[in-house]
Parts: sequence; C-alpha cells; structure tokens
Amino acid sequence: MALSTHTTTTGFLLPSIHSAPPFFTQQPHPASLSIATEQWIQIILKYARHRRLFTVRVEDSEALGNDWDEILRNERINRKLIPSYLSYILTQMVSQKLAVYEPPKQDRSILIYWRLPEEWAEVLYEWVRLLGAPWFNSIIHSQVSSTGNLNTIMTFYEITDPPVESPLSGLPIPLLRQAITLLSKSNRAQIIAISEGEGVRFFPTTGKA
Amino acid sequence: MSCLYPKPRIPIHDNGKQATCLAELCERLNTSSETIMHRLNGVGLAALDRHTTTSRSYDLLSNSLSQNQITHLQSQLVSFRSALTTFAIKHREDILHDPAFRHRFTQMCSSIGVDPLAGPRKGGWWAELLPSVGDWQYELGVQIVDRNGGMIELSELVRLVRKLRGLSADQDGKGKGTINEEDIIRSVKTLSPLGAGYTIVTLNDGRKMVRSVPKELDEDQAIILALARAPGKYGRITIDELVLERERGGRGWTRERARGALDNMLLQDGLCWVDEQDNIHDRVYWVTSAMKWD
Repeated sequence: MALSTHTTTTGFLLPSIHSAPPFFTQQPHPASLSIATEQWIQIILKYARHRRLFTVRVEDSEALGNDWDEILRNERINRKLIPSYLSYILTQMVSQKLAVYEPPKQDRSILIYWRLPEEWAEVLYEWVRLLGAPWFNSIIHSQVSSTGNLNTIMTFYEITDPPVESPLSGLPIPLLRQAITLLSKSNRAQIIAISEGEGVRFFPTTGKA
Repeated sequence: MSCLYPKPRIPIHDNGKQATCLAELCERLNTSSETIMHRLNGVGLAALDRHTTTSRSYDLLSNSLSQNQITHLQSQLVSFRSALTTFAIKHREDILHDPAFRHRFTQMCSSIGVDPLAGPRKGGWWAELLPSVGDWQYELGVQIVDRNGGMIELSELVRLVRKLRGLSADQDGKGKGTINEEDIIRSVKTLSPLGAGYTIVTLNDGRKMVRSVPKELDEDQAIILALARAPGKYGRITIDELVLERERGGRGWTRERARGALDNMLLQDGLCWVDEQDNIHDRVYWVTSAMKWD
C-alpha cells in the first residue's frame, strides 16, 4: 500500500511516515536513524501541543490505555514504537533541549517543552496581567484592567488549575517554577512562601525608558 | 599500363616450396633439419668450440651494451628530472593558477611515467617544488576513486591503494611512500569540492567506510532495487522473497547472499530501512527510494 496521512480520533493529522512499518524500529544506519528520529520528535511535539500533554514515559509505548496510544502505536499496521527506541528518542529530545528529564536523575520520563520555558514565562505574565483570576474579576468589574492580577499573590494551584480553562491549565509545576524563575530574573515575579505552601507575586514592568 | 610479360609459372622465390623440399630431404635422410643446417656451418668438434666462443663473446658484448644503456638512461633520467624541475619552477605560477596547464603538466608526467606521488609520504618532490599544489592529495584521491567501487571499508581501501602503488603493507604508516588511513581521509576531503560526492561514513560499530554518493550499485543491489519497485511492492523486501524469486528465475540466490546484499544496503548504504515487528519475518527491509508516499 502507498503510505498516507491519517487523522486520529482526537483530530490529529499523522504524517504518512507514521504508516510505514519500519518507522517503528530503530534504524541501524546513522543517517536513516537521524531522519526517523527527527520525524518522531516533530510528531511528539506537535501531538503534545495538540493534546496539551507534558509528559512522555518509555512505558507509554508498552501498555495500551494512555494518552499516547494514537502516536506510539499504529493499530492499522499493527506496529508500536519499540521502547528502547522511544528511550533513544527521549534522550535526543533532552539533548536538543526540547525536553528535560522529569523527575530529574532518571531517563524514563521527560517533560516536553512544546513551548520553551521562556515562552511559558511570557504566556504566564500576559495571562496574569490581562485576565487575572476569576475571583479578582468578580470584585473588580472591569474584566481587563491595565494591571490585572499584578501585585497580588497567587498560589501555584490558582495558576495551573483555574475554574475557567486557561492557556496555563494543567501546566506542570516544574515548568511553572521555571517560568517564574525566568520572570523573576527580569523582576516581574517573585516566589513567596504562603500558608498553603508556595505562592507567587507578579509585578508590573517598571517601564524604564 | 598492362602487363607485358606473362606470369611465370613457377614463382622464383617460393619459400613454401623450399621448406617442403627441405622437409622431404630430412625425411629421406631420417634426420632433423637442424642437423642439416649445422652441417652447413661446419662439422665436428671445432664447430662446437667455435659456437661456444661466439655465443660467449655475444654475451659479453650485450652485457656491456646494456650496462652502457642503463648508465646512459640513468644520466638521461637525472637530466630529465632536473629539466622537469626547472620547468616546474619556471612555470610555477602557471601550474598554480591555471588548472588547464596544471592538468596538462600532470598528464605529461604520467605519460612519461613520472609519478609525482613517489617520494616521502608528505608529497614527494612534487610537494617540495610546488607545495601549494598538493597534487599528491589529488592524485591519491584519483587512485582512491579507481579502487573504490561504490562502497568500501577504509582499512581495505588503504590496503588496495598501497598495493596499487606498489608499497608493501607492512610499512605501517612510517616508511617513506606509505599511505595510512589519515591520508585517505584527507584526500577524500580534498575531493569533496569537485562534487565527486565521496564521503567517509562511520558505522555504528565505529568502522569507517568510504562511499561514493552517486552510488555505483553492485549487481545484487540493482536486482533488489528493481524488485522493490515491482508493482504492489512499495519497497518491501524480505530475504525469503529474494531466495524464492531467484529460484523461480533459476539462478538461485542463497539465503546468505540475499541477507548479505540486503544488510549491505541497510547497514552500509542506508538505502533501506528495517522493520523488526513483522508477524512472519524476523526482518523486513524497506527500500526507501521505492516507498510510495501520498
């Protein structure tokens, strides 16, 4: 059969290479391996963005019933990504700074940067500045104020699990922490110890001319 | 002008006929023609002595003649070499800057049997004369091309080039005129701007292979490629299939040959990908160039 693209049940468009049986085996020739691995990395990043997934584990290719079934398997040709190859792909993603091992000091699970920490920092800051938390909006009538939630203290939970879905919903805490750290370097945020654990206060940009 | 005289009935010089006569004579005398010939030169012991003396003096003469010739040739070679050197120095600029001139000069050298590569490993007297030409590298490159039919392991190539250049393999990289792997790698790099497409491929196990990218396919690979492009195949090839195909064709590929050819394409050339998850076959090979993408 000719190899063709395929749209998954979640509406993700798989490239035609995903229907090629050898794509699921680690290639011995360095050039072939690098081509195939690049393709895998692109698919994983795109799918992660599509489904807002943040973690891939080597086990995800072994057992059915996880978020990655549509990608790491192809039931139409009865192939699944061999775990040792997935492990190699994860290593490559980490070395290309497209992911980090999470938790650190192991290599079975990665945190995927489908947005880089720098990009997450900007998204976070914009979200806080423009929308703020819902409880804040209920008190202050104008939904978009120039300062939004700046200067108030927010918990991590308020950011990653807001009642209304936001661009930051489900953001893993390690990634949130990295974003806040980056913001604090430009004096736009500060981590503060609060009664429920940790919180963060955002500051307006000083607007130095 | 027409011939005025009639053709003589018996040719005047008929060597064939003479030979026949001699053979007849020998037969009648029951002796060999050689004996007859010797008798023409003289008979008895005296003749034998005379013969020995003659041949000895001929030997002497020939020896001294060839000795003279060798000495002469050697002196000619020396003067020729110095002339060539003078020429090379005089036209140094042309040789350096005019590729056509340089090419002609190299051709001239090769046509008269001067090997600019001969000499110390770093490049022979050529390099002393024209250090920046580095023709040694180019020429070695050409020799690499000569020996390298598509894909070859580096160590094997070193051995072949050494053999080609008449160098014994035991002078491991030290003796003058030897070639080592580094030389080959450098020469291959020198060739790269020519677009010849020669590259050094390092395999996963660390072996280095030299390959020409405009790949020369060996016969087996050509057969596999053709089969992979057959209708309905879409690049999918198995060892079983090759063995069967050959059995049908009557020429008979062994399993080893099929596996070897496919593994070469897979491991050395990257011309196919492997799938190890097939239900039936341990390995299924996919010739990427024959795969069909929508």
